[in-house]
Amino acid sequence: MPKKSRVLIVPCSGMGKALGSVGREAAYQVVEELRPDVSDTVCLSLLTMGDPEAQELVRTCPTITIDGCAKACAFKNVQSTGVEPAADFQVADTFREHRDLKVRQVIDVGEPGRELARHVADKVAQAVDGIIGAGD
Amino acid sequence: MVDLPKKKVGLIACSGEELACGTLSRIAVRQVLESQRPGDTVTLCLPLFLTGNEQERAFARFYPTIAVDGCDKQCAKRATEKYSAKVAGEVVVDKLLAEQGIAVDPAWRHTPGPAGIQASHVVSEAIASQVDQILGKDGILRLTESPAQPAAEPEPERATCSCGSGIPISEIQIAGAMVSVLALEPLLEMVHGQLPPGEDGLGPKLLAAVKIYNTVPAEAERDYEQALVREYRKRYSGEGA
Repeated sequence: MPKKSRVLIVPCSGMGKALGSVGREAAYQVVEELRPDVSDTVCLSLLTMGDPEAQELVRTCPTITIDGCAKACAFKNVQSTGVEPAADFQVADTFREHRDLKVRQVIDVGEPGRELARHVADKVAQAVDGIIGAGD
Repeated sequence: MVDLPKKKVGLIACSGEELACGTLSRIAVRQVLESQRPGDTVTLCLPLFLTGNEQERAFARFYPTIAVDGCDKQCAKRATEKYSAKVAGEVVVDKLLAEQGIAVDPAWRHTPGPAGIQASHVVSEAIASQVDQILGKDGILRLTESPAQPAAEPEPERATCSCGSGIPISEIQIAGAMVSVLALEPLLEMVHGQLPPGEDGLGPKLLAAVKIYNTVPAEAERDYEQALVREYRKRYSGEGA
């Protein structure tokens, strides 16, 4: 089995609710801090609008989606390109485990929001390890 | 009591995850929603718009919409025009900042910092200016605006997301074809509440109200009027209307 060298992390980046921003923050924590060598992100709207490079990327790299709400737009948009996400995470699930972490606002999630994002990012990073490891 | 939404401008940000200007697009939109034009603007998540149903995709037909894109691929604009309606305005963040001589730091993608936030204010000012132009608040009367604006109660100033709100759509027969009309029910109710006894000017009043949220081709105005009067009477004929 060929080694899967890179995993795409695609958050929904929801504009209306702060948990969308937490998902976006979590994605950046994974691709820039936790697993910078084996993960990357791609613009969700570019992908959904049919950009050939973005579509080629999700066809060749396993994709993990992070959604801010139950509408699961990141998951559904990736699915709509004909690719099944390798894993998907809902920020709300992690929030239920850490209800003390009150997210400040959409523009700036604040320190509690970043901490909540870190909990999500840790889960995503573990999933990245599982996917990369499965290719060894 | 009619719960008719005030005429607002829709803002759709690309939120591009790969680029600093994608991050600035969402920050700038939120600044307009929360601080600069809170009573005049509303947003919808672009991914929801892309996966949404007909009600969500009616967004740009209901609200004149400004697409705020991070780069010249203009995903927000293209998506809006593909699934809903032509945008009323557009801002391309990287182009705007280049014109202003502002160099974009790629690190702003995750951490805008003071310089990135300052750049986002340049973007939000450009958006707010377009909002004012669309609503005719820049002192210039827009011919595309109906003179008959709905009377709106003063609203508390807060950022608005139309996520899940569902814009009401009705299908009615106009000149033998089924046509989708946005916000028909509250508009009929509004006219009913305002109409003096005797129905004087019912057709023109209904047409003016419907044109607030719908595009009515000039050549079809008479057909619309007839259909709207018919729909009105279906609902209110029992009241002597």
